Amino acid sequence: MVSAGASTYRDRTSEFRSLSDTLKKFGRISAANPDRTYQHNDPSTSSKLPLTPSSYRSEFNKKASRIGLGIHETSKKIARLANLGKKSSIFDDPLKEIQELTALIKNDITALNVAVSDLQTLQNMEIADGDYSEDRVVHSTAVCDDLKNKLMGATKKFQDVLTARSENIKAHENRRQIFSTNISRGNPLRQQTENVMEPPPWSSPSRSSANQPSESSGSGVQVGNQLRRRLAADTTPSQHMEASMLQQQQVVPQQENYSQNRAVALQSVESTITELSGIFTNLATMVAHQGELAIRIDDNMEETMSNVEGARGALLKHLNRISSNRWLLIKIFAILIFFLIIFLFFLA
Amino acid sequence: MKITALLVLKCHPIPDGSDPVILANATDVNHFGYFQRVTVKQFIVFVGRTVAKRTPPNQRHTVQHEEYKVHSYNRNGLCVVGFMDDHYPVRSAFSVLNQVIDEYQKKHGESWKTIQADTTSQWPYLNDALTKFQDPAEADKLLKIQRELDETKIILHKTIDSVLERGEKLDSLVEKSSDLSAASQMFYKQAKKSNQCCTIL
Repeated sequence: MVSAGASTYRDRTSEFRSLSDTLKKFGRISAANPDRTYQHNDPSTSSKLPLTPSSYRSEFNKKASRIGLGIHETSKKIARLANLGKKSSIFDDPLKEIQELTALIKNDITALNVAVSDLQTLQNMEIADGDYSEDRVVHSTAVCDDLKNKLMGATKKFQDVLTARSENIKAHENRRQIFSTNISRGNPLRQQTENVMEPPPWSSPSRSSANQPSESSGSGVQVGNQLRRRLAADTTPSQHMEASMLQQQQVVPQQENYSQNRAVALQSVESTITELSGIFTNLATMVAHQGELAIRIDDNMEETMSNVEGARGALLKHLNRISSNRWLLIKIFAILIFFLIIFLFFLA
Repeated sequence: MKITALLVLKCHPIPDGSDPVILANATDVNHFGYFQRVTVKQFIVFVGRTVAKRTPPNQRHTVQHEEYKVHSYNRNGLCVVGFMDDHYPVRSAFSVLNQVIDEYQKKHGESWKTIQADTTSQWPYLNDALTKFQDPAEADKLLKIQRELDETKIILHKTIDSVLERGEKLDSLVEKSSDLSAASQMFYKQAKKSNQCCTIL
C-alpha cells in the first residue's frame, strides 16, 4: 500500500476492493459506496469481469453521467437559441442558424429521451437481476428521476424559446406590414405628400412598440426612422425584406402548389369528361327506349288502319247490297204478301 | 382578372447582389390616374427587378403585394415577371409566363445573354400578349378546356330535358293510338255485324 498522504483515499479504495472480492467469494456483495473512483480504477484493474453487477453499476453510472452531460450541453444550446431568438431584428435574421440549432436541439432531446429510458430499463434489469441493497436501489432511482426531471426542464425551456421566437416573428411581420403598406400607399403620391405621411407612420411604430414585449422594439423604431429618411432616396427596403421573407416562407410550398394545381385541374377535367360520357350513355338509352315507343305507336296505327279499312269494305258491301237488293226485297215482300193472302184465304 | 405588366429580365445565374437587366417591358397602367402613371411604371420596374433577383433558377414564385400578385418564373437565368391581380388564377398566370418565355427564346435565341444594360425598345409580342392574356382562358389550355366542357355539359343537360319531354309526348301518343285502334276494331265488328244480319235477309 502506498503511504503517501495525498493518496490515502486511493488506498482505502484498494482495501475496499479486496474486501469486496473476499465478500464476493462468500456470495454477498456490499454496495453503497461512491463509484466514481471505482470507475476510474476499473479499467486499470480487473476489467475482464464481464457483466458482473459492479460493472453493471459502473455502466449505469457511466450512462447516467453521459446523459447528465448531454442534458447540460443541450440546455446550453437552448440558452444560445433563446439569445439568438431574442436579439434577431427585422433586418439581420439568422434564420438558417436558428433552424439548424433547433433541429440539432430536437435531435439531442430525442436521443437523450431514448438514453434515459434505456437507463431506466437497465436499472430495472439490474434490480430484477439480483438481491441488491436498498441504498443502491434508492440511489439509482434517484439518479434516474433527477435525469428525467432535468430533461423535462430542458424540453420545457426549449418550447418556451420556440414560442417566444414565433411571437417575435409575428411581431416583425406586423411591423413590416405597417411599414410596407404605409410606404406603398404613399408611393404614387410620394413626391407630393411625403410631409403629410410623416406624422402617422411616426405614431404607428411607437404604438406598435408599446404593444411589443420584445426588446427589439426600440431598434424597430429606429429602423422606422431610418426608413422614413431613406424614403426620399430609395424605395422600399422593407419590401426587399418582405419579398425575401415571403419568398423564404413560400419557396417549398410554391413548387408543390404549382404542380398540385395542375394535377388538380387535370383531374377535374378528366372527371368532367367522364361525367359527359355518362350523360351521353344516358341519352342513348333514353332515345333507344323512346324508339321502342315509337315502334309501338306505329304498330297501333297500322292495326287501326287495317281495322278501318276492313270496316270500310264491309260498309261498302253493305251499301252495295242495300242499293242492289231492291228487287230481292220486292220479291221477298211479294212472297210475304202471297203468304198473307193465302193465310187470309184459309181463314176466310 | 387583369394583367398589369409583363417583364422579361435577365438574371445572374448565381443569385448575388447584381440587379437583373430588363430585356422587355409591357405595362398597362391606364387605370391609374394620369399623373401617377410614370411613378407606377418605375415602381413596377423596381419590384420586378427585386422579385427576379430573389427567384432562384428554375423555380416559380408568387409574391403578394397589396392587391397585386407578382408571379415570377426563372429559367436558367432568363426570368419573366408578371403583375396580376388577385382574381387571376395562379396557374394561368404561370402558363402565360411559360408562353412568353418560350416565345422570347424562340425569337431571340441566346442573344439575351450578352445584354448588359436595360433595353428600352419595345417588343410588340409582349404588348399583344398583354392584351390577349387579359382573359386567362387564352393562356391556359386547361382552363379553356374546362370552360368548354362545362358549356357542353349544360347543353347536354338541356338535351336530356328535351328528350324526356319527347318521351312523355310519345307516351301520350302511344295511348291515343291504342285507343284509336280499339275504337276502329269496334267499328269493324259493328260493320261486319250489321252486314251479316242483312245477308240473311
